[in-house]
Amino acid sequence: MSETKINIGPIHPSTHGVLRLVVTVDGDTIKEVEPHIGFLHRGVEKLAESRMYMQNIVYMEKLDYAAPMAHQELYVSTVEKLLGIEVKERAEYVRVVLLELQRIASHLLWLGTMCNDIGQMFSMFMWTMRDRDMILRLLQEATGQRMFYVNMRLGGVNRDLPAGFEDDTYKVLDSIEHSLGEYKDFLESNPVFMERLKNVGVLSRENAIRLGVTGPVLRGSGIDYDVRRNSSYYKYTKLGFRPAVETGGDSFARYKVRMKEMQESISLVRKALEEMPKGDALGLPIKLIGAVPKEKEAIVKRELPRGEGMMYMVADKQRPYRLAIRAPAFINLAALDHISRGQRLADLFAILGSLDLVMADVDK
Amino acid sequence: MLTNELAYSKAVAYIMSLLSWDKLNFIYNFVLANIVYGVIVIIGVMLFVVIFGWVERKVMAKAQFRHGPTKVGPYGFFQNIADALKLLSKENFIPESADKYLFVSSIVFILAILLFSMLIVPFSGGIYAVDLSVALLAIFVLLSVLPILIFVAGWSSGNKFGSISAQRSIIMMVSYEMPMLMVIAAVALAAHSFSFFSIVGAQSNMYFAVLMPIGFVVFFIAMLAELERPPFDIREADSELISGWLTDVGAPFYASVLIVDYARMLLGSLLIVLLFFGGWQGPFLPKVAWLLIKVFIVAIFIIVLRATYVRMRLDRLLRFGWLWLLPLSIINLIWVYFFMVWGVIL
Repeated sequence: MSETKINIGPIHPSTHGVLRLVVTVDGDTIKEVEPHIGFLHRGVEKLAESRMYMQNIVYMEKLDYAAPMAHQELYVSTVEKLLGIEVKERAEYVRVVLLELQRIASHLLWLGTMCNDIGQMFSMFMWTMRDRDMILRLLQEATGQRMFYVNMRLGGVNRDLPAGFEDDTYKVLDSIEHSLGEYKDFLESNPVFMERLKNVGVLSRENAIRLGVTGPVLRGSGIDYDVRRNSSYYKYTKLGFRPAVETGGDSFARYKVRMKEMQESISLVRKALEEMPKGDALGLPIKLIGAVPKEKEAIVKRELPRGEGMMYMVADKQRPYRLAIRAPAFINLAALDHISRGQRLADLFAILGSLDLVMADVDK
Repeated sequence: MLTNELAYSKAVAYIMSLLSWDKLNFIYNFVLANIVYGVIVIIGVMLFVVIFGWVERKVMAKAQFRHGPTKVGPYGFFQNIADALKLLSKENFIPESADKYLFVSSIVFILAILLFSMLIVPFSGGIYAVDLSVALLAIFVLLSVLPILIFVAGWSSGNKFGSISAQRSIIMMVSYEMPMLMVIAAVALAAHSFSFFSIVGAQSNMYFAVLMPIGFVVFFIAMLAELERPPFDIREADSELISGWLTDVGAPFYASVLIVDYARMLLGSLLIVLLFFGGWQGPFLPKVAWLLIKVFIVAIFIIVLRATYVRMRLDRLLRFGWLWLLPLSIINLIWVYFFMVWGVIL
C-alpha cells in the first residue's frame, strides 16, 4: 500500500487547541507524526523582559490555562530566589494547598478530555468538569478569581485562606474522592476502554529518559522521579509525599499515574490543612519598588501538573534581563512521534490524550 | 345522428367497462393504498425522528448532569425542528474536489433505501404495506447496501477523512454482516419462515430472546455496528475523523443525514423487537402501542450505551466480529436446530 499524508488540525475536535499534526500513514498504521506548532506563540519570554518583576505574573498564568496557579508559583519563586526573599512558613502550607488543588483540577480536566478523545460522548467530560468546578470555586474563595488568580506574592500570598475554607475543602475533597473511585470503577470495568489504552503508545524507560519527558509521562514509564520529592521544596517531604509510579509505559500506565496523583494530592491537601501553623501568610505588596536582586541569575524547577517546569532568570534592576522557560508540554509533545510510530491511526488520539498537552504551554 | 349517438353511447359503455368498479378497486388497493401508507410511514418516521432526537438529547443530558434543550417548545421538544430549519436555511456547500453527482445522490439514496425498507416492516397485524414471504431477507439486502452507499458518499466527497471513513465502512461491513446473517438464519429456522408475521406469530409462547440468548446478544451487537451507534461509531468517529463521511456534507444534506440516523435507529430497534421480543404481542393495550413501547425501550438502551461507552478500534472490531460473533452465531444456529428437532418433542 502506498503512504498517505493526512493533515490533522489546527482545527480538529481532539487536538486540544491549535496543534497541527501531519501524519504519514501506511493503510491504518502510522509511519510518522510531524507536529507543527507555533499557532499560539505569544513571545512570553520576550514580553517578560519589558515588564517589572511582579507585572509578569499575568503572562505566566496564561502559559497553562488548565493550571495557572502552578505556573505563577514557579515564576514567583524564581523571583524570590533572585531577590533572596524567604517564604513565610504558613505561606508554604497555603501554597501547597493551592497548588495541589490546582493539580487535581488540571488532572480532572485531562481525564474528561482524554475520554472524549477515545470516543466517549462527553459523559466523562461533563462529570469531571463538574468536579473541577467545585475546586475552581474553592480557589475562587481563596484567591478571589476563578481562573487566573494572580495571588502569589513575594514571600507569601496575596491573602490568607478565608474563614471556613478548611471545612469547604474537606467537603469538596470527600466528594471528589468518592467520584474518583466511581470513575475508576466505571472506566476500568469497561473492556473497550481498557483495550483502547493498554499496550497503546508504549514508551520504554530508556526512551523516556532519552526524550526528556517529565511528569506523569515519565513516571508512567517506571522512573521514580518527582520534583516535589527530589528537589524537596516547601513541605512536601514533611507531609509524607510519595510519587505515583507505574511500570507499564503505555497510555494506561499514564492514566493510572494521574489517577493515583489525584489521590495523593487529596491526601496532601488534607494533611497540609491539618498541620498548617497559625500566623501570617501575606507576602510583599505587588507594587515592588526598589527591589535589589541579590543574585545575578536564578534557576528554579517545580513539578507542574504536566511535568517538570523550569524557569531561568537573569536579573536586571527592576525587571528580568532574560527569562527562559522550560515548558513540560513542549518536551512531552516531542515524544509523540516516537511513541505513535507503528500504532493505528485511531490510537494517535489515545496517545495524544494521555500526554495531556496544553498548546499555550507548548507555544509559549 | 342516431348512429353517432349510438356510437357515442357504445364508446361510453366501453370506457365504463374498462373503469369498472373492480378495476378501480384494484387500482385503489394496490397503488393508492400503498402510496397513502407510504406517506403515513414517512410521516411516522419523521415523528419518530423528532421525538427520538429530543429523547436522545434529554437522556444524554440527564446522564451528564445537564438540562438539555429547554427553550424551544415545552421542555425543548421542538429544538430539533428548529435545528433542522436552521440547517435547511443554510447554503448547500459541495466541495470542489467532490464528485458532485455521486456525492449528492448517494446521500439521497441512503435516505430513500431506509424509507423503502420501512415499507417492508409491519407495525402490527393490520398495519403493513406488503407481506413478503422473504421480508427478512429483503430487509437485510437493503441494509447491506447502506455501507456501500456510505462508502460511495465518503469516497466521492474528495476529503481524506471521508475516504478513510469510506474504507472503514467496508471493513466494518465485513466484520458484522456474516454473524448477523447467521442469527437471521437461526430466527428463520425457528419460525419456519422469512415473513415477519410468521416470526412474530412463532413467538406467542416464548420470545426468541429467551429461546436464543446468544443469538440475541450477537444480533444486538451487530445491529449497533450497523446503526453506527457507539461503541461502533467508527465510521463517523468525531474525535478522530472529524465526522468521517459527513465531514464535507453541506447543511441541507446534513439535515437529511440526521433523519437517516434516527430512521436507521427506528429500523434497528424495530427489527430487534420483531425478531426477539415478540413484536406487537402483549395484553390489554393495542398492538401498535406494544410495538412502540418495546421499540422505545430498546432505543433508550441504545442511547444509554452511547452515553457510557468509548469507541472501539476498527481492527479490534474486525477481530471481535470474526473470533467471537461469528462462532457464537454458529453455535446459536446449532442450538436452535437441536431445539427445533428435539425441543418440540420434549
